[in-house]
Amino acid sequence: MIALPDLVVGGLAVGTLSAFALGGGLLRSRRHLAAQRAKTAALRAQLDGTSRVFTAEVEHLAARRVPAAARQAAHPHVAVPGPLNPQLAGSPLGSALEQVLKGLHAELAAQRTRIDAAAQAGMRGATREIQAALYRMQDALRGLQQRYDDPELAQTLFELDHENEQSLRRAQIAAVVCGAWVGLAREESHLVDAVTGGQARLAGYQRVKVHNHLPAGTALVSHAVEPVAIIVAELLDNALRHSAPDTEVVVNLEAVHHGVCVTVDDAGLGMTQDERARAQRMVAGSEPILLTELGDPPRMGLAAVGQLTRQFDLGVDLSSPSPYGGVRAVLRVDSHLLTRIDPEELPPAASAPRSTRRAAVRDTANGSAAPGGTGPKAGAPAAEGSRPATAVPWDEPRLAATPQDEARPAATPQDEPRPTTAPWDEPYPAATPDHGHGYGTDQDDQSAAPPSDHHGPRDSGGLPQRRRRSRAAGQAGAPAPEAAPRRRPEEAAAALGALQSGTAAARSAAGPNTGAVPAVSDGAPAANTAGTAADDTGHDRNDDEGGTAR
Amino acid sequence: MTGRRGGRPLVPAYLSTGGVARPSRTHLERLSVLTGSGERAPAELPAAQAALLEELEHGSLTVVEAAALLRLPVSAVLVLAADLIDRDLVLARAPIPPARRFDPDLLKRVADGLRDLKHP
Repeated sequence: MIALPDLVVGGLAVGTLSAFALGGGLLRSRRHLAAQRAKTAALRAQLDGTSRVFTAEVEHLAARRVPAAARQAAHPHVAVPGPLNPQLAGSPLGSALEQVLKGLHAELAAQRTRIDAAAQAGMRGATREIQAALYRMQDALRGLQQRYDDPELAQTLFELDHENEQSLRRAQIAAVVCGAWVGLAREESHLVDAVTGGQARLAGYQRVKVHNHLPAGTALVSHAVEPVAIIVAELLDNALRHSAPDTEVVVNLEAVHHGVCVTVDDAGLGMTQDERARAQRMVAGSEPILLTELGDPPRMGLAAVGQLTRQFDLGVDLSSPSPYGGVRAVLRVDSHLLTRIDPEELPPAASAPRSTRRAAVRDTANGSAAPGGTGPKAGAPAAEGSRPATAVPWDEPRLAATPQDEARPAATPQDEPRPTTAPWDEPYPAATPDHGHGYGTDQDDQSAAPPSDHHGPRDSGGLPQRRRRSRAAGQAGAPAPEAAPRRRPEEAAAALGALQSGTAAARSAAGPNTGAVPAVSDGAPAANTAGTAADDTGHDRNDDEGGTAR
Repeated sequence: MTGRRGGRPLVPAYLSTGGVARPSRTHLERLSVLTGSGERAPAELPAAQAALLEELEHGSLTVVEAAALLRLPVSAVLVLAADLIDRDLVLARAPIPPARRFDPDLLKRVADGLRDLKHP
């Protein structure tokens, strides 16, 4: 009986103990749970905070940064704001957001180019059609101008033609800006024609004064003609637009070492430093053109100039101010785009200003006795002091060295000591065989002409002409025929024949006294003897040359 | 002046006269004969007028001939010529009227009359 209560006590004790133990465990686990809860709550709070920050950041991205980035594509000066939380900058989230912006930027740029290209293609097609239509209109108008000369009708036709040219210029510029070809193939043309043609495409062209200081015959190769005309028209348009209507716009065409420069000066407002820099950037043509960047309405002039300078290897410079206070624009045409056209065979247009050098040639022809045709022996009568002096105005290497130029015969005496360095020259030696002709080879049919050069200038204003060059010479020395009656070769031959026989007779009489002269006259045709012997001022050099030619 | 090439002229005609097509004197016609007066041209002469004057240095030309040589429409040359006449650099003469054919009937009667005189 005693064992049962003990058992009960023992059992209770065990139960109590285990209850204590379990209670402790429970308490511990409760505490643990509470700690876990707290931790979870803290973590949740942190998570909430982070996601709020993230949301805010994305909202900021959408609301501020993306639009700014999109605007920046079009306007580079727009600044894109950074993330809301500056600490985010280096974090993965920050860089991921940056990536978003970068991707957006790239895609926008691609889209922009694509859209612009589409716009350009559309415009190109339209302007091409318009340009062709305007050319047809031009043909029609010029046909009418040729056919009708009633003043009232002609006035209307002139005005229409001018309007048409202006529209044509606009269409052509738009096409060129959109990447099209200039739209018209031309033949080689005088450079002054291209400049004058460009001038004619503008309203107010009467204010433009072109001064042509180029040697006659300076021309552009065919593919450069229309681009030069377009560029000159644009530069002149800017000049006319930005200067007062009572001022002149001065154009100078000058030969430079590397080619030809067309300088356009206006007396207008001028440009600020920024404008000048922008204009210079545009005409350099180094950046691709986007229509959307040209403004509204698009200002296409300089963009077209840039496009053309890049395509045709021309140079335009707007960086220096004009001495007139306005803008100076200089178009440089390098010598590989230049060629020569014989101005006698194919003269420049009637309205194109004549070369100032040509006037110099004409004055010389009038003033002293040096019209064309003296080529063969032009080197000899250098003793006439007046000639080198009057020849100075066109004392230019290139002019002197071009054999086709009408100025050449008179310039020849000068070019012997001068180096001829002009790059697009025909070689100067091309002119020298003439010396040989005069002295040696062609004497059968030209025996009269070479000696006459010695005497002609002294007794008459005109010189006999070599037949081969007579046409060119007639044109060049155009005013000369009225000034002095020209002697025909046959007359000169007769006169010289008489002189020749006289000197021969005298020489044979005084034969033993003169040593050198008979030695020459033995083998040579009589004309030469006359030339050398009758030259009383004693040009030893002539004798030398005569000797070598033989 | 011979090598006139095809193709579109670069310089339009209106530039030669500065856009003017009404000549300052109206008596000029297509076949009026222009002759240089021989006076020295002033240096500031417009290019087209100088070109016309230069053509006339070689002799007289009718207006149409000058137009063909200068490759300009006749209307422009009329203006240029009128300006040059105003400056006394060019003389103009009215066109020679084309010879009219005589009335054959009249000629026959004259011949008859002469014959009658000879053989009374």
